[in-house]
Amino acid sequence: MTKAPPTSEPLKNSAIAQVGLLLGLAILLVIPLLAGGHDYVLQVFTHGLLLATLALAWNILAISGSISLGHAAFFGVGAYTSGLLSLELGVSSWATIPTAGLAAMAVAVLVWLFCHRLRGAYFALATLAFVEIPRVLTDNWDGLTRGSLGLVGLPGLPALRLGSHHFDISASSIGSYYFVLVYGLLLLAVVTFIFRSNLGLALQAIREEETAAESLGIQVQRYRLLALLLSALFSGITGACYAHLIRYIEPGMVYGLHFSAIPVIFAICGGRFTIIGPALAALVLYPMDQFLLHPLLPAGHEFLYGAVIILAILFLPSGFWGQLWKGQRVSIKTGSIE
Amino acid sequence: MSLLRLEALSKRFGEHWALKGIDFSLEEGEIVGLVGPNGAGKTTLFNLITGRHKPSSGRVWFESKDITFCRPHEIQRFGVSRTFQSSRPFAKMSVLENVVVGRIFRGELHLFPRPTDINTARQLLELVGLAPKGDTIAGELTLSERRRLDLARALATEPRLLLLDEVVAGFSPLAVKQAAELVQRVRERGVTLFIVDHFMSLSLRVSDRLLALDHGKKIAEGKPQEVMRNREVIRAYLGMRRDEEAHSANQAGS
Repeated sequence: MTKAPPTSEPLKNSAIAQVGLLLGLAILLVIPLLAGGHDYVLQVFTHGLLLATLALAWNILAISGSISLGHAAFFGVGAYTSGLLSLELGVSSWATIPTAGLAAMAVAVLVWLFCHRLRGAYFALATLAFVEIPRVLTDNWDGLTRGSLGLVGLPGLPALRLGSHHFDISASSIGSYYFVLVYGLLLLAVVTFIFRSNLGLALQAIREEETAAESLGIQVQRYRLLALLLSALFSGITGACYAHLIRYIEPGMVYGLHFSAIPVIFAICGGRFTIIGPALAALVLYPMDQFLLHPLLPAGHEFLYGAVIILAILFLPSGFWGQLWKGQRVSIKTGSIE
Repeated sequence: MSLLRLEALSKRFGEHWALKGIDFSLEEGEIVGLVGPNGAGKTTLFNLITGRHKPSSGRVWFESKDITFCRPHEIQRFGVSRTFQSSRPFAKMSVLENVVVGRIFRGELHLFPRPTDINTARQLLELVGLAPKGDTIAGELTLSERRRLDLARALATEPRLLLLDEVVAGFSPLAVKQAAELVQRVRERGVTLFIVDHFMSLSLRVSDRLLALDHGKKIAEGKPQEVMRNREVIRAYLGMRRDEEAHSANQAGS
């Protein structure tokens, strides 16, 4: 007699989830068609995708248990690095965007120097305070950064040449949309790889029980640093994309609380112990905020984020995507001994 | 050569000596029980051996290596693993993943867990009787299951010396008996065991020798029955008899 699989409920969930994900991806691919000529609709989804990449990047660090409230530092430094390089030196954004990621990693090394002994709430508060350093520097170092005037007239996203074809991504909203979508899917692949690899197992083990992780031979500090560097790299790249997408940045904007808080909100609502939850939350909540609440409450539309975070903490502590997967792990399955 | 040798090992926290001048050796293949009342320094001793704390003075030798000031992950790689007094599973990971983590950070690093790592992890779950729970989230296990998971995870590192900290605390007599059988099976795999056991319920069943501590000092070592009859040990656990008390008070007064 064969026993019924004990995990039938989560298995059903996983089938629903997979269908849902494919459907979601299909929708993302055809949104430019659905949006028709409405540039605004497309811009909202482009921005939502960009915030999704920030949430994904933030979550790389959160897998290791370190909650950062200061990712605007990496985002802002990335935006300014790419913006200044392209404005002052006229470098192609193909080169400035990756450089922005490296600059954000350099900032991460500084964060590490000051914060590597801190854990939990102390680490979070230290990162919250740390954002002020690049913000004040950018704001006041007029000679280098043009100070509080910000950077105006930034070049758009890079153009793409395929043989004789030439796609100017920034010329149309559709081009920008697909550029960010491709970046988002690549980052999703990277995060999936990290989650499922031995690195991901190490980071999760450190998050759950650092002492036990260490006793199993995991070099805790080395892996925590690696997670911070990877997270900063992609946050910086996202910041650079933002700069070229909006084409105007200023210190208060890119170093603002908004970009520190929003990945935390999306990760907690979507499920920070999941791979895709944070990105899904961004793609659902941001358009909801912009299309539904912004017209109704132009001044207070962001209350949505406050409300959903309270609801999530009270009723779905592992996030809505995390809740769907509750009791089921995807990375390693048991089975008979081979 | 002894597998583990402690040489005049001492640890001071502020003004308080948690351990003072402990000399002791463990031979390969032995099961040694570490007993003593609360606050005797048993867990501190484990923390010194595994590198979690650094001793104030003295040395720890593992075979011919001086591991006194090595870091925990280095000591683990030499072949020393431990479980914790309060079981510490990776609560949000599956039971199987918990054990796999024990496999994959020894020596050569790989990108993904290899099939052999996963297979060995499954076999270890069979050994400790958790095979049907492989996909369960570790945080949902019962106390006894958690302790067995701790054991499987520590065994996954293929230790030569395994330190078990209070693995049977709070267990029923039947569960203690099963744990004793499990410990014997672990020994048969060629693992030397050092077992902290406040109530001696496990160590009396399985130990070849006992080491008794009280207030950070070694008060007895030897065959379990001898240590059990040792006057100092009885005193440490049960306090002094009236006549002894009066006698020592007289001595202190004179």
